[in-house]
Amino acid sequence: MKDFHLQKINLQVKEGDYHVLIGPTGSGKSVLLETIAGFYKPYNGHVLLEGRDITHLNPEERGVSIVYQDYVLFPHMNVFENIAYGLKKTNKSDESLLESKVYEMAEKLNIDHLLKRDTTTLSGGEKQRTAIARSLIVEPKLLLMDEPFSAVDVNTHAYLTTLIKNVIEEYQTTCIHVTHNFNDVYNLAEQVAVMKDGKILQQGTLHEVFSRPTHNFVADFVGVHNVFQGEIVGHDKSLLQIEIDPGIIIHSSDEFKYDSGDVMVAIRPENIIFSNEKFVSSVRNQLQGVVKDMFEVGHTVWIEVQVGNVRFRGVLTPNSCESLGIEREKEIYLSFKSLNVNLMECHDSYHSI
Amino acid sequence: MKSKMEISFISIAIFFTLILFLAVGSLFIIPSFQGFVDSILSEEMIEAFKLTLYTAAISSALVMLVAIPTAYSLSRYSFPLKTFIKIIIDLPMAFPEIVLGLALLMLFGNNLLGGYLEKFGIKIVFTVTGIIVAQFFVAFPFAVRILYSTFNYIDTRYEFVSRSLGYSEFETFRSITLPLSKDGIFASGVVTVARCIGAFIAVLFLGGGTFMKTETLPLTLYLNLSFGDVNMAITAGIVLVIISFIAIAVLEKYGKEKTI
Repeated sequence: MKDFHLQKINLQVKEGDYHVLIGPTGSGKSVLLETIAGFYKPYNGHVLLEGRDITHLNPEERGVSIVYQDYVLFPHMNVFENIAYGLKKTNKSDESLLESKVYEMAEKLNIDHLLKRDTTTLSGGEKQRTAIARSLIVEPKLLLMDEPFSAVDVNTHAYLTTLIKNVIEEYQTTCIHVTHNFNDVYNLAEQVAVMKDGKILQQGTLHEVFSRPTHNFVADFVGVHNVFQGEIVGHDKSLLQIEIDPGIIIHSSDEFKYDSGDVMVAIRPENIIFSNEKFVSSVRNQLQGVVKDMFEVGHTVWIEVQVGNVRFRGVLTPNSCESLGIEREKEIYLSFKSLNVNLMECHDSYHSI
Repeated sequence: MKSKMEISFISIAIFFTLILFLAVGSLFIIPSFQGFVDSILSEEMIEAFKLTLYTAAISSALVMLVAIPTAYSLSRYSFPLKTFIKIIIDLPMAFPEIVLGLALLMLFGNNLLGGYLEKFGIKIVFTVTGIIVAQFFVAFPFAVRILYSTFNYIDTRYEFVSRSLGYSEFETFRSITLPLSKDGIFASGVVTVARCIGAFIAVLFLGGGTFMKTETLPLTLYLNLSFGDVNMAITAGIVLVIISFIAIAVLEKYGKEKTI
């Protein structure tokens, strides 16, 4: 690629895993996929598949299939011919086997009634299922999906997610799925990698990445809404004390390589407990604040609480919101475990979206 | 209400198209019917017609055979001198056919390539082979141009997907790229045939324009006009016009079928 460079990417995918690669637009996700598939040759570096170096293999020799956001169905073929395309190559002689395999695959993806149709007459979801069937039928070692659901409407998205999940589990296909939609991550991912500017910032299990982001960007991007700048002011046994505002000190049990200096603090909104009174417990952080704002998102209520000059965001169910009698300008206590206070280096620039 | 600009622009379009139409139409009015029939049935006309179709068929086939890989490599691959090659191919479209004819005559004449080719028994200058060579170079740039934009227009991801499904580069070209560029190939084919049939100066220079030997239809028109046989000249013109009409009609009818 002329104007774009992927930098020192080390993405490891275990066999059978569903790996989701997430990052903002233009972060190099698609180029990475096309490099894995062999459409671009890396200037340096290697692509390994099952321990074998496939960097210099032609795309057709890799056993890697790709599904695009805009389907890329062959316009001169109908649905059946599209799905059968890859199989036809390896299975020239046995027409009835070909037909039964295509039919079986189409049935699993609920498109068996569309096989005779022209691809231009299909809906987005139908096109995407055709594209997925076309890729899966050759039983690839690795299935690459480039934002496969971003062109379909919300309901279709949910339906496709479940359907795809089941089919892929059944075929035990290893997947790399590129997306910028968090629902895809929550619903599908076993492993997550966060990518930005041609670099992979963090990878790990869903839990690791979402609850313990290692970079500001990751924290911000994956939706940790409470990210504050602070200074390490001391420690209390294994706990670090961080001052995020004059007089406001919070404790973190994170192991951090420095025990002084500037640091970024991240607390996930769902880890904050709200109460009307102070209570004695193992929770190490308890702050008093004033509710400044509240708004409903789906069936959750987000509240913003001002503590000194810092504003915390938390999430509650409407029920608990009601029983606590939360309203604007009400005084409230916030509690969160030191375990849930993640520390991050703050030398990379922090851009809030 | 049509705007002033709309009215004036449409008037310009209609006025000059009308003049063009009258010019073409006048060809059909001038000769007497008898003169037309005599001319069209004359041995010279029939020979010229046959020779034109024969040479144009061969040169068009050759043009397509060479233009498809040329256009594909210009569209898909990067290689040294690519820009230079693109300019060279486009050049004959910009400079007069008479210069192209002269250039070809110089190349295939006795001085340069011609001498060597003759040693292998290949004579180009003032032969039917010369006509084919001339037609080839007249039509080739146009064919490459059309095919180049056709291939550019095809999303390379179709090819990516095909290859990821196990098809080699050439198999992909055959089963995906060529079928998808059907319309463009068809259009460039029609344009190529039309250019080959209509090629004049280059054909005159390289073929020699010998009566009944290397005389294609445009040459029949030219030669007879200079002898003063207006009926023959105009009839040749009419035949060429009819051929063009057929070419355009075919293009209109079948060229766009798929885009609906």
